[in-house]
Amino acid sequence: MRRATGADPVRQSGMRRDAASAIGDVKRGGRPGRHDGRKNMKRRDFMISAAGVVAGSALLPRMSFAAEGVIDWYTSSDTNILDFWANTVKPAFEAANPGISINLVDAGDGAGIIAIGERAMAAKEQGADPQADFFESGDALLPSGAIEAGVYANIKEAGLSNYAKVNPLAIESDYSLPYRGSQVLLAYDSTKLSAADAPKNWDDLVTWIKANPGQFVYNRPDKGGSGGNFVRRAIHQANGLDPAVFTVDNYTEEFGNEALTKAWDILSDIAPSLYDNGAYSSGNTQSIQLLSQGVVTMTPVWSDQVLQAISQGVLPENTGLVQLQDLALAGGFTRSIVIENGVNRDASLKLADFILSEEIQSAILTELGGFPGVSWDYVSPELRERFADIVPTSIPTFPGGDWAGAINDGWYRNVAPNVDRNS
Amino acid sequence: MTDAAPAAPRPLIDSNDSRRPHGLLLVAIPVFLVAWLVIWPIINAIGRTLWRPDATGALGFNLNSYVFFFSDQYSINNLTITLWTTLVCAIVLLAICLPISLYLRFSHGKLPAYVQAMAIFPMFVPSIILAYAFIRVLGPNGMVDILLNSVGLPKIRTPYLTPWGPVIGLVWDNIPLTVLILLSGLGNVANQAIEAARDVGANRFQVFWHIILPRISNSVLVAISFAVLGIFSSFTLPYLLGPASPEMMGPFMNRTFREVNDPLNAITQAVITFCFCIAFGLFYVRSVARNQGK
Repeated sequence: MRRATGADPVRQSGMRRDAASAIGDVKRGGRPGRHDGRKNMKRRDFMISAAGVVAGSALLPRMSFAAEGVIDWYTSSDTNILDFWANTVKPAFEAANPGISINLVDAGDGAGIIAIGERAMAAKEQGADPQADFFESGDALLPSGAIEAGVYANIKEAGLSNYAKVNPLAIESDYSLPYRGSQVLLAYDSTKLSAADAPKNWDDLVTWIKANPGQFVYNRPDKGGSGGNFVRRAIHQANGLDPAVFTVDNYTEEFGNEALTKAWDILSDIAPSLYDNGAYSSGNTQSIQLLSQGVVTMTPVWSDQVLQAISQGVLPENTGLVQLQDLALAGGFTRSIVIENGVNRDASLKLADFILSEEIQSAILTELGGFPGVSWDYVSPELRERFADIVPTSIPTFPGGDWAGAINDGWYRNVAPNVDRNS
Repeated sequence: MTDAAPAAPRPLIDSNDSRRPHGLLLVAIPVFLVAWLVIWPIINAIGRTLWRPDATGALGFNLNSYVFFFSDQYSINNLTITLWTTLVCAIVLLAICLPISLYLRFSHGKLPAYVQAMAIFPMFVPSIILAYAFIRVLGPNGMVDILLNSVGLPKIRTPYLTPWGPVIGLVWDNIPLTVLILLSGLGNVANQAIEAARDVGANRFQVFWHIILPRISNSVLVAISFAVLGIFSSFTLPYLLGPASPEMMGPFMNRTFREVNDPLNAITQAVITFCFCIAFGLFYVRSVARNQGK
């Protein structure tokens, strides 16, 4: 999952996965014949109990045990991340470490990872096998108490050879490893807007939006991080361009109202000039779809998602990308976690070290379109040169916690309804 | 029946007492599941929104969250758009499905088979696929716009991200169920009754109004209450096709719970939604009960 903010995961795909519950088919009992009543009853009894056994065995949790040498890996990220692991990281790691393989499992969303973390805590108490070794994306503070319970490995103390390379700004906890980042950029249709005219700061962007009504769209802030971080950039704009003003625990209703109301004014001001007099798409993908159908000229996008869209031909090769230079749109890091009581703890730490290697960190830039988790000094100069345009000097983040709820509620109440769309 | 002569053939439906526990056992599982997964959460939700601690921490009867809902213009707007969408969908569904069902009931040959297949088809399309197909076809610069443009006509005013987006999606999604229920109702209309009416000079409209409609009124009620129940609490289509604001109750509840982290108000919204649905549900139950009484 891409993080919209430092601590608040905003699901970036348009819809959530439904938890598909599969319950085995219950075989239907044969229809009783006419004459053999008693025998039939027995058969019916048998069919009923057989059906019960079939249904019951389908409902029972499948018993399995973690295998030595197979790292049980879980992610809450989107399919592009899973693809990246399956096609790039897994083969490279397995080639470099014969005898160790990775079992890639999609945990769905952040709640799925937390549930597996809770399972690991329960397993630790019972001295059982947690059947999990590595979280590709997780928050070391969740589930609460996991660190105190000794379920998450202390990565700082684990002696990883590459740990010193990690970007110090990205480190949030000794128990999680920031290995990749994403940021929100502005993508634009370069046939309608030349790179020279693309806005490079917030004021230019607002001027451009107003001069080109209907050509800009951002998605609802809770439905995807691209729109969410655009809204957060407006909040930064309204509060002196200083991300440090907002911390995870300094939300109060009074301060929130004061800080956010100014941002709602900025966003309400541009609303009539947005697509369809103030319509907001319902996710990152839908924004990209509107851009690809030539409906809008510019939209905020996740860096990795837009690069994938371009490479898959959803967006044309000449799609322009620009980052605001006065203060970049917020982004965030994805942090990996190693399970301390997992069967493959040591192999997982090897994997953690491996994803900080130059090979994988470069691939995160070139193949995933994300940011490296290591400091820029450890990225090859050639890549630094190539991505200079979209790389900001800093990656501002926005805290989650109570701020997320206040932003999500406030935006819907103050920005979304303001416009009479039929006028 | 139990004391029938031994030589008599066994009745098809055996009411032998010894079988009853099996029947009850078979029913017990669904009844238990409904009680556990549906009835209990409802009671729990109502209880949790009505009996909760006030400012001093004392547990008591407290209607605040309901007062907030009905005094909050934003929530009222969301409820209104939900009722509006449901009503419009119900009317449009009837207007589309009644003619289709009548056609299917009274025509013969190959064409009605194709029409029926077309009418049932939406049942097999997941609503997410439907939503994205909708965007590609009726969305801005979608297929319709491209076709119109190729013959020199202006673009349509796209319903995407307006209240009409969910209406179109939900109507299409609900056509199969409505057609099937209406069609089964039309099965009860005897050809003789229609021929008799024709013989005494009734025109097509009179046949429909006086002969067909009274006989299928029950099916119409059932079809509409089924559709309305689904539409009122729908999530995916309003979420993907509707405007950011006002939003329908489904996305509103989900957002309040997950994104605003406000379980109390989310549950209150759910209870209010449930009250509306139970009102629609009573129509259905009443019509089924009336039907069985006949």
